[in-house]
Amino acid sequence: MTEPTGTTEPVTTGFAIGPDTAILGIETSCDETAASVVLGGHLVRSSVVSSQVDIHARFGGVVPEIASRAHVDLLTPVIAEALVEAGVDGADLQAVAATCGPGLVGSLLVGVSTAKALALVWGIPFIGVNHLEAHLYAALVEDPTLELPVVVLLVSGGHTMLIEMAGHGQYRLLGTTIDDAAGEAFDKVGRYLGLGYPGGPAIDRIAMEGDPHAIAFPRAMMADGLDFSFSGLKTSVVNHVRKHPEAQTADVAASFQEAVVDVLVTKARRAARQIGAKGLVLGGGVAANSLLRERFLSACVEDGIHGFLPSRAMCTDNAAMVAAAAWWRLGSDGPSPLDLGADPNLKLPLLAD
Amino acid sequence: MLILGLESATAQVGCAIGGHEGVLASSHSARGKRHAENLTPAIEFVCRQARVELSEISCVAVDHGPGLFTGLRVGVASGKAIAQALRVPMIAVSSLDLLAFPLRFTDRRIAAVIDARRGEVFWAFYRQVPGGVQRVSEPTVGSPDDLAAELLAQPGDTLLCGDGAIRYAEQFADRPGIELAGGDHAYPSARALVQLAHAKALREDWVRPHEIELLYLRKPDAEINWSMREGA
Ligand SMILES: [Zn+2]
Repeated sequence: MTEPTGTTEPVTTGFAIGPDTAILGIETSCDETAASVVLGGHLVRSSVVSSQVDIHARFGGVVPEIASRAHVDLLTPVIAEALVEAGVDGADLQAVAATCGPGLVGSLLVGVSTAKALALVWGIPFIGVNHLEAHLYAALVEDPTLELPVVVLLVSGGHTMLIEMAGHGQYRLLGTTIDDAAGEAFDKVGRYLGLGYPGGPAIDRIAMEGDPHAIAFPRAMMADGLDFSFSGLKTSVVNHVRKHPEAQTADVAASFQEAVVDVLVTKARRAARQIGAKGLVLGGGVAANSLLRERFLSACVEDGIHGFLPSRAMCTDNAAMVAAAAWWRLGSDGPSPLDLGADPNLKLPLLAD
Repeated sequence: MLILGLESATAQVGCAIGGHEGVLASSHSARGKRHAENLTPAIEFVCRQARVELSEISCVAVDHGPGLFTGLRVGVASGKAIAQALRVPMIAVSSLDLLAFPLRFTDRRIAAVIDARRGEVFWAFYRQVPGGVQRVSEPTVGSPDDLAAELLAQPGDTLLCGDGAIRYAEQFADRPGIELAGGDHAYPSARALVQLAHAKALREDWVRPHEIELLYLRKPDAEINWSMREGA
C-alpha cells in the first residue's frame, strides 16, 4: 500500500494511525446522505451516496426541514450498505467520523448523533470533521502522492474559495466570493432561464449547443486580487434577456458559463503562481462542470504545474472524503469529545499568518 | 431483558436503562437546547450508573414524537444507530403517551399537551385502564384555543399535563373541571419510556431500525406553501 509521500506525516500527539486504520465516514451536511469506509486515509473500501436532489427539485432548492427528515430515514440503510460493500463490521473499524459543519444544522445533527452513537457502541473514537477540510482531502483520496503545497479551487452551491493547502491541516484562504457562490449563480441563472433545478448540470448541457462568445457578459473583479463576485453577472444575464427576448437560451447559458469559468480559472492560475504551488486541484459540486474541467486542465498544462481533477463523484459531497480527512485529524488531534454538537457556520482552521 | 430508552422530543433530553427489575438508572436534563451535545454522554453515564455494558442491551426504545423536530431526530438517529450496531430491535413510543403514563392513577380524563412552538400545541386524550392509560383520541396539532374548545365540549373532569399545558395555562385554567398537573409533568421522561417499552417488548411488539417512523404531525413549511401554490 502506498503511503502518502512528499507530505508531512501527521504529528502523532493524537492517536496512532496507520495504513490499516479503517474509518467509517458519515456525511449529512446538505442534501446527500453518505457513508463510506476508508483505509489509511485513501483506500476507499466503499462509498455510498444517496442523493435527495429529486426530493428538493420541485422546490427549486434544498429545503432544510425536508433534508433533515430524509437523512433520518436514509442514513441507517446507507451505513448498512457501506459496511456490507466494504465487508466490515464494527469490530473491524478503528473510528467513526461525521461532518459536524458547516452546513444545515438539522441535517448535520443527524450525522453527528449517529456517528457518536456508533462510536459509543463499538468503543472506538469519534471524529467531527470540517466539511470544507473534507473537500480539500477529496483529491488526496484519489491521488495520495499529490505534492503539497497545492492551491484548491473549491466551488459549490455554498462556497467559492481559493485555498492554499501548505501541509496537512495547514491552510491559507487566498480568495473567496464577496457575494454569491458560483454554484448559487448557476442555480439562479438556471431557474431564470427556465432550466429547472439544479442549474449547474442543466446549464452545462444546454451550453454545449450555444455560442459561448455570443454575449460578452462582465467578468467582475477580473483584474484585481483573488476574490470573486457573481451577483452582478446574474443581474447582467437577467438584463440581457429582458432587452433581447429573442436571444437563444443556449447562447445565454453558454456565454454565462464561459464568464464564470473564465474568472474561476484565471484566478486559480494567479493564486498558484502567487504561492508557487506544485499543483492546482479542483473540488466541490461545480467541479463537475465540463467546461471548467477542460479549461482547468489546459491551464495547468500551459503553466507547467500538476493539475488534479478528482472524479465527479469525489467532487460532489461524499463520505469518503470525510473519512480521509478524519484519518489525518485523528492522527494530529486525536478523537473529538462525545459532547460535540454541530456548527452550521464552522470555519476552515487557517494558519495564523 | 435490558432496554435502553432515549427521549429528546421536547426541551428535555433523557436516557434510561431498565428491564424486569424496573428502571436501573436514568438521566434527564432540561437546560438549553443541547440535545446532540448532551445525549451521547448521558447514554455513557447511565450505562455506568446501571453497571451495564451497551452490548447487554436487547432493545432500544425511542420517543418518536410529536415534539421539537430537531431534538426528536437527535434521539431517533442515535437510537437507530445503536440498534443497528447491536443488531437489536427497536420500540417507538409517542411523547404524548409518555406524558400521560405517570398520571395513570387518576380516574379523570388526561390531556397530554406538548408545546409545538409557533403558537400551537400537540395533544391527545387518555383514560385510565388497568395497569396504564389508553389513548382515546388521535394525536393532533392546533392552537391552544382549539384545544380549549375541545375541552369545553367534553363532559367530566380533565387533568392537563405537558409543557404545552403549562405555557398556555391561562387559556385552560379557571375552567370548571380542569386542573393542571405541575412542573413534574412538564416533559415526557425516559423512565416512562423504558417502562412502556418493557410492556411492549414482552409482547415482542417491536420494529427494525429502518421501520421507525417519526410522528411530525406537521408538514415542512415548503411543502405547505408548495401545495397552496399548486392548489391556487
Ligand atoms: Zn460540499
